[in-house]
Amino acid sequence: MRKPSSMIVARPSRRDVLYRGGMGLGAIALSSLLADEARATGSDALTPKPPHHPAKAKHCIFLLMEGGPSHIDTFDPKPKLEQLHMTRFQKERSKFEASMNTGERYYVKSPFTFRRAGKMGIEINSMLPNLAGVVDDICFYRGLKADSVNHPTALYHLNTGNQFGGDPAVGSWVSYGLGTTNQNLPAFIVLPDVAYPQGGAANWSSGYLPAHYQGTPLRPEGAPVLDMTPPPGVSSDRQRANLDFLRQLNGFHQQRHPDHAELAARLESYELAFRMQAEMPDVVDLSKESKETTEMYGIGSRNKDEDALGRRCLLARRLVEHGVRFVQVVAMGWDSHDYIDKAHGARITAMDKPVSALLKDLKRTGLLDETLVVWAGEFGRSPDNGIRRGSTAWGRDHNANAMSVWMAGGGVKAGQIVGATDEIGGSAVEEVHPIRDFHATLLHLMGLDDAKLRFFHAGREKQLSQVGAQVIRALIA
Amino acid sequence: MSILRICLYCVVSLLLTVGMALASQTPEQLFSETLLPVLERDCQGCHGGTQALSKLDLRTRESLLAGGARGPAIAPGKSESSLLVHAIEGRNKLQMPPGGESKKLSPELIAAFRIWIDAGAPWPSKNVARKWDYKPEDLWAFQPLRPFEKDRHIDDFILEKLQQRRLSASAQADRRTLIRRVTIDLTGLPPKPEEVRAFLADTSATAWEKVVDRLLASPRYGEHWGRHWLDVTRYADTNGYSNDFERPNAWRYRDYVIRSFNADKPYDRFILEQIAGDELFPGDPEALIATGFLRSGPWEHTAMSVEAVTRQLFLDDVTHNTTATFLGLTLGCARCHDHKFDPIPTRDYYRMQAVFASTEFARPKVPFLSSENTSDVAGDATRMVELQRRTEERIRDYRQRAVTQLMKARGISRIEDVPKAELNQAMNTGAGLDPATFEEYKLFQKHSQLYKESLDRFEAKAFAVSSGPVDGSTDGGNVLRYPNRAAYKPAAVHILPGGNIQSPADRVTPGLLSAPATTGKFPAPEVPDSVEGRRTVLAKWIADPGNPLTARVMVNRIWQYHFGRGIAADTSNFGKMGHKPSHPELLDHLAQSFIANGWSVKQLHRTILLSNTYRRGSTQADMKSLSATDPENQLLAYFSPRRVEAETLRDSILAVSGELSLESGGPGVFPQINEDVARQPQHRMGSLAPAYHASPLKRQRNRRTIYTFQQRSLIDPVIDVFNGPGLDLSCERRDASTVPTQAFALFNSAFSHDMALAFAARLATSSRDIDTQINQAFELAYGRAPSKEELDASRQHVQRLTAVHEKTPPPERPSKKPLIHKITSELTGESFQFTQQEDTVPYEENLHPSQVSPAVRALADFTLAILNSNEFVYVY
Repeated sequence: MRKPSSMIVARPSRRDVLYRGGMGLGAIALSSLLADEARATGSDALTPKPPHHPAKAKHCIFLLMEGGPSHIDTFDPKPKLEQLHMTRFQKERSKFEASMNTGERYYVKSPFTFRRAGKMGIEINSMLPNLAGVVDDICFYRGLKADSVNHPTALYHLNTGNQFGGDPAVGSWVSYGLGTTNQNLPAFIVLPDVAYPQGGAANWSSGYLPAHYQGTPLRPEGAPVLDMTPPPGVSSDRQRANLDFLRQLNGFHQQRHPDHAELAARLESYELAFRMQAEMPDVVDLSKESKETTEMYGIGSRNKDEDALGRRCLLARRLVEHGVRFVQVVAMGWDSHDYIDKAHGARITAMDKPVSALLKDLKRTGLLDETLVVWAGEFGRSPDNGIRRGSTAWGRDHNANAMSVWMAGGGVKAGQIVGATDEIGGSAVEEVHPIRDFHATLLHLMGLDDAKLRFFHAGREKQLSQVGAQVIRALIA
Repeated sequence: MSILRICLYCVVSLLLTVGMALASQTPEQLFSETLLPVLERDCQGCHGGTQALSKLDLRTRESLLAGGARGPAIAPGKSESSLLVHAIEGRNKLQMPPGGESKKLSPELIAAFRIWIDAGAPWPSKNVARKWDYKPEDLWAFQPLRPFEKDRHIDDFILEKLQQRRLSASAQADRRTLIRRVTIDLTGLPPKPEEVRAFLADTSATAWEKVVDRLLASPRYGEHWGRHWLDVTRYADTNGYSNDFERPNAWRYRDYVIRSFNADKPYDRFILEQIAGDELFPGDPEALIATGFLRSGPWEHTAMSVEAVTRQLFLDDVTHNTTATFLGLTLGCARCHDHKFDPIPTRDYYRMQAVFASTEFARPKVPFLSSENTSDVAGDATRMVELQRRTEERIRDYRQRAVTQLMKARGISRIEDVPKAELNQAMNTGAGLDPATFEEYKLFQKHSQLYKESLDRFEAKAFAVSSGPVDGSTDGGNVLRYPNRAAYKPAAVHILPGGNIQSPADRVTPGLLSAPATTGKFPAPEVPDSVEGRRTVLAKWIADPGNPLTARVMVNRIWQYHFGRGIAADTSNFGKMGHKPSHPELLDHLAQSFIANGWSVKQLHRTILLSNTYRRGSTQADMKSLSATDPENQLLAYFSPRRVEAETLRDSILAVSGELSLESGGPGVFPQINEDVARQPQHRMGSLAPAYHASPLKRQRNRRTIYTFQQRSLIDPVIDVFNGPGLDLSCERRDASTVPTQAFALFNSAFSHDMALAFAARLATSSRDIDTQINQAFELAYGRAPSKEELDASRQHVQRLTAVHEKTPPPERPSKKPLIHKITSELTGESFQFTQQEDTVPYEENLHPSQVSPAVRALADFTLAILNSNEFVYVY
């Protein structure tokens, strides 16, 4: 681990100081008792902070499966659908249903076969042979319910706790709560596909939290961070000369404004930017990995999606190794309304090696104990499909009432299935929890208490996650 | 700090309230004021509403008595044997609320539950008005304004507080500092060198006043202060969410705001127009355009969304944003439960929401005004038509290929021999194409549709609302259908406990907030239950000089933009949790004079800007002890320096480089943004949107940032990284954090390098002498000449770099590469490639290093540093 320097150098604004100190004598007496005082937003914005309680995991890798992966076709088989297959029925229009989910419909069985894996004989899609080898490290959870069947609102909900875009993302909560160990890299990094998920960058926004906690997307093509390198033709010598001259100019200026503390901070931010510029290429350079490792991730595969996801998964491990607190890997394209055999089949195949390699690799390097790996989409899919323009292709619509998510590593009950859906996978029926409880559980594993993780915004203490959540104890070892 | 407040709240206020409650309250009051909020907040999430875990519903007395899987929750009169008490005390392995010690209710609350149960667990109807028990100082904003003190001025109020704390005010700033400060403050642009010189040369007593008046009269003023207003109202040109469809004519609202500030429209009229312009001034095009305010939030409805949810999101948004914008109250909390900190019961929230229950989306025809800039409308429309025509051409090619493939597959050689039905199928749907080609075909079809729809933007319509639907206008996309006006009835509004639309409670009629009446003696009139007239009452009530909140909120916002901090620091939260005003008498004094001056915003600016307080220097001798006494500079002993806002930064870069186009108004323009971001594939309805095209002409793309197209899903990274406003939530105050990605954006971006080169070329054109060039750069960027050491350092840098450039040939201008996107079909999982269409209008390139001499390239290295320097981005 590198020596922490200070990537973020803005000092606490006078406002912050005041907010923390300006509430009278009682406040001062209390404040000395409160570790949370450390969760400031200034120069120490990203320095490591103590958790609320001992943490099971220090890092989180969140594998976001955008589009709504089908639980019925991945981790929650439903033999009952064999009998119902292609049976038609009419679903009444309801005030509380999307028009997509009403009208004439038919049940659809899974086109996939399932196999048993691990000590418990956990059933998973047969097209996941590599993942089958690591199910004993995974806690599968079938009880989660989302609120929305609409992609962007559901994604915002899963990523920020609020269906309405613009609030801080889970990665921002964690970075704010815990800081980060490597100050030369952002605390919260997103590894998107070339295209962004629905709802765009608001999925990793810092919302009303300061910009330090914003997710930094590392782009799969071109410079990993926007404008990290100057335009073509600017040599590093010239860049350095310009930077030195800028420092000189700023130095003259600072002499005239010796009391203006922000000046030094801004000066330093340029140096830090260029330290990041120096460190980042090294971190993202996958050629430093052995051939065996890269092959395990599916890198170099003729399957382009597998290769790309493999790169992102391996990069996620490298980032965690370099001290990044929260990494979100985005895998797109799970929205299979029709031809689920092909569409989901392609996603499942592309995911098998990269995701299982990530778990194996983290375990091999000893990082799995302190890294929480989460696999989740914004909702599950329906056991039935709507008849659209006469088509009765095998596909599934959106379903907020049932989904499969899983966790591995840092403190989760490995090799288990928790919760259950009904016999056709229409709705969760056991150990049922809303998304907010899933968030509280994630925070809990990382040593944070959702109710204590608050930020003073717009004149009130705002809890970052949704209020009233409870930790899903059944998922915790 | 977070825990601090919670602890204070929990420990101190709960102890106090419960303690007092135990002593003096009836069991009914105890329940309504203390226990019911706990049930709502901590219990009903799981036990009630959509889910009733363990079959237990804690929403009514009856359901508590009925109990759940473990039996009745309460035994009235017998707290000791009540399961509820066992649960909250953590007995018999039952611990509620779950979540360990941190979630456990306080001993005082547990005691209160016992007292209530022992008293028979009375459950008063929610109709019983709560007895609000707030300290007067928490309700300051609801109190009537203090009487106006004719003989006191801003400086009197400020100096009085400073003297009380034995602090002295800083001396006046020098004239160069002042003209830069006030020019950036009022117009968002640095002063021109000749403006600086004129002010320095003006020895008259009214020199400062003349500068202020000149700037207030400048059209640049409205462009800058309009932006502040748009921050609060979250103006954007698109809908947000997944498709982020364009909002045609939303720009007319943006220009309306700019015009209003420039014309010094009385603020009360500005309020009336935005909340109820359609009802109050039906023939006035400005007033119709103004109601775009009510639709400013993100909004989307697709086949995947639930209509009732879409509508509810809108109603919540418009209720919350209207009160936050004009009244400085955050009502969000009251959506689910009675407001914990402010006297805003949930009932009030839903009564306010019912005011908007008859508000429907409308897009009435409103002819373009002579004050609107429509010079690009025809040209842009032609461009869009051409893009669509080219797309249609491609679509015809694909259909032709489908027919060819069909004939080949069927072994038919003459088109006449293809069965009519199959031919039509191929011609109309592309059936028969191989999957990858079919996906491309589908994309072109979508693009054609998008181009066609975007023609809407050029029609003379307003993005507005109406009370009840306008016949024949369905402005909710093709999924929402409005009934005919005659058949229309506004939806009934119910209290939604926990904000849950599936479990509506009491129905409410439209009404206004009760707090200003109960605490401020400002009565709330009745709101009619009819289709029309609801918003009229609301608007008039807000714009009434007697409303204690309205003038205070606006005066405070304006003060904040001048000084960096409001007199009350939380400009959109005047409730208990917001910071109390540092100078409450001053706030009221300014509010009174604001109203007395006919709600003139410009007059208010003048009053503030002509004060000595505004003209203080940004430092004083003993800053150390001063910042210990008053770290926030609340008392305004000096002028707080600050970083310029993102838009000011971009506009200033364009201005000093000589590239700024001062054209005003009209449809949004597309600036030069980071190439990677521009080429980034964007989502549209499970598919790919047409590529981002920067406006081809410099005249367009180099306009002020306020005129750039505000796309919620694609914000210019330079604006974003310098803390530009998110477009989804109201932004009451810009953050100014310093992060390294700002250095990347400003030091490395193509935009910065292009502008630095333009700046250098500008200097080189006006003089060949290097010292003169440096001098001019300092005058343009900083409003002053360089010191000797600055001049020397700059000259050395330019000379050194000139030598480097003489040895290094410039890179060639990169050729334009076609934009190819690799896409995976969501239907079939197959990958395919899609080549985006080129823009139809040739791109007017920026100056390139290969076009200039080594000396100018070296000068551009110097100007790049100037544009990055602290002096350029801070105001003193």
